[in-house]
Amino acid sequence: MSNTDAVGTSTTIRDVRIAGVVACVPARVVGNDELSERFGDAVAQVTKMTGVITRHIAAPEQTTADLCAAAAEALFDRAGIDRTTIGALIFISQTPDHRLPATACLLQDRLGLPVGIAAFDVNLGCSAYPYGLWLASMMIASGGPQRVLLLVGDTISKIVHGEDRATALLFGDCGTATLVEADGEGSATFLLGTDGAGGRNLIVPKGGFRADLPADPRNPNPEDTLFMEGSEIFTFTLGAVPRLIDGLVEASGIARDDFDAFLFHQANGFMIKHLAKKAKLPPEKVPMNIDRFGNTSSATIPLLLATDCREQVTGGASYMLAMLGFGVGYSWAGCAMRVGPLAVADLVTA
Amino acid sequence: MNPLYAGLADIFEVDPELITPDARLEDLGWDSLAMVSTIALFDEVYGKPVGVDKLKTCQTVADIEALAAG
Repeated sequence: MSNTDAVGTSTTIRDVRIAGVVACVPARVVGNDELSERFGDAVAQVTKMTGVITRHIAAPEQTTADLCAAAAEALFDRAGIDRTTIGALIFISQTPDHRLPATACLLQDRLGLPVGIAAFDVNLGCSAYPYGLWLASMMIASGGPQRVLLLVGDTISKIVHGEDRATALLFGDCGTATLVEADGEGSATFLLGTDGAGGRNLIVPKGGFRADLPADPRNPNPEDTLFMEGSEIFTFTLGAVPRLIDGLVEASGIARDDFDAFLFHQANGFMIKHLAKKAKLPPEKVPMNIDRFGNTSSATIPLLLATDCREQVTGGASYMLAMLGFGVGYSWAGCAMRVGPLAVADLVTA
Repeated sequence: MNPLYAGLADIFEVDPELITPDARLEDLGWDSLAMVSTIALFDEVYGKPVGVDKLKTCQTVADIEALAAG
């Protein structure tokens, strides 16, 4: 059953669970000391705001699909997954290999998945992971595929303007693989919403097919690179995220105190701390890894599962999690789900 | 001390005595990072978000304070 209001559309889907998750980051680590050569004293100022100390940056020949493929191989291997049991593949990214075909099609072949599966791309960023879990859960609940491989990631380093301190210092690269499957005891509540009026505040204007690009005097960057108006994004989150948390808690029917952790999209350290405080969430229930990985866009939440939450979700018990994605679009999505014990929650490098 | 003024002193890392209604933001170091911090401060002090367009038009501390009444 779904319900739509100003906060978003809520849905509870039964009989699904996350079976395992693996995140893959590029081997190359770039620290702030390296970036100080380019940005000077600005690095310290920006770090105070973002909290990013190191980030993993993809090699020139390395794509999001490469990182997701490596994550998927590790997931199959470590969890003992028979890949012929995968019934669908969803690839969510803003940095696909090509304009066409869909990267999901290429990954079906590359990963040796059955020919007879559904495979498609979705273009979302900050809200990608809860969205992907929602899509996968709906597919399973429909009685179709009973195992869905959800590949979510981005290599935003390839689209930032090298001289733009607002983005070049913030983002890191990561690809992730999550197995979502039918399970008689699992369930998940989702809340999703969109306000495209904010689309121009986080945008790569060029690279699609619109020739008459709207002029934006705020954007000093080349139009085929990322522009981010941080103050507008932050203002958006101040309104949207507390409503997303309240709405998700209400829709799930689970008491706020009964959530073990709130996994925020790792947008910006200052922003997360402010939003958590505003929502009166105890800091120990709001894990953060942006210091080590930067903002990895669509991948931040599964990367949290594979790192800071690893012990909890692979231990003997299950954990009630609220996963909160918000940003580019504007698009936001929340997922309340009991997670674990997972067969695998690991971080690998490629 | 006025919590907005105290917060602005923290943001600009200056002596609180320098935060007066007439203090010019440009002289204090008003940049994009200070603006994001001020958005958070405004939300904390007044319990409501401030419009970015309005904040960008502010030239003095008093201008920011006036937005709370708006």
